Amino acid sequence: MSDEPTMNIAVTHRFTASAERVFDAWLDPVKAGKWLFSTPTGTMVKVEIDARLGGKFLVIDRRDGVDVDHVGEYVEIDRPRRLVFKFIVPKYTDLWTTVAIDIVALDGGCELTLTHEGVLTEYTDRTKDGWTMMLDGLDEALG
Amino acid sequence: MTPQASLDDTLIALADPTRRAILQRVAVGESRVTDLAEPFAISLNAVSKHIRILERSGLVRRRRSGREHLLSLNTQPFDEAMAWMETQRAFWKRNLMALDELLQAEDVIGER
Repeated sequence: MSDEPTMNIAVTHRFTASAERVFDAWLDPVKAGKWLFSTPTGTMVKVEIDARLGGKFLVIDRRDGVDVDHVGEYVEIDRPRRLVFKFIVPKYTDLWTTVAIDIVALDGGCELTLTHEGVLTEYTDRTKDGWTMMLDGLDEALG
Repeated sequence: MTPQASLDDTLIALADPTRRAILQRVAVGESRVTDLAEPFAISLNAVSKHIRILERSGLVRRRRSGREHLLSLNTQPFDEAMAWMETQRAFWKRNLMALDELLQAEDVIGER
């Protein structure tokens, strides 16, 4: 029995772009600002990325007039294979989680696997409403 | 109580094989605490501790009928845990799709 339950989610996506291009899109502020932590109805208002070990990032997406900060710190940068960062959205939680990106080069592209560790432990009653609201908005936007 | 129970409590409750076995029995129908304890090779006291953890998570509800304590299953915390996982997964999937679209758009511009 564990007193500190964790549960991870993993998402895999196949890209036609090379592993290098996919990897760099996480760390290039101009590119990251076009997709990372973006929501269809939100507006990206700030993207700061210090792409080195121990470096921080700050991505702010404005959703319905509310700024949502996404804060992280890089703990592993192994271009173009692996990127790991600690991650927190202070508006919704005060617990850090870890996101690991693994990229495998394939013929004609690459496959990326994202593993978000400790997803459920970040969930608290306080966070629930915020996330639910945001994700409801996301669902609506996706129709 | 149930809607306020945190997902941590749900996960802690589900993390133990004895508690999962208790949940399976309760899922069949309302059960007396003493009946629940019977198949397990542990003391009634130990079973009671497990049941308290299950109650704290909201997965198990207790009511009194005379001298009997009756336990029943409430799946809501479990459903909420699963829903949370699903919304998180959807969030990342949407982000990776957006990245894919961005890179493909770059390719189109590059080929012009």
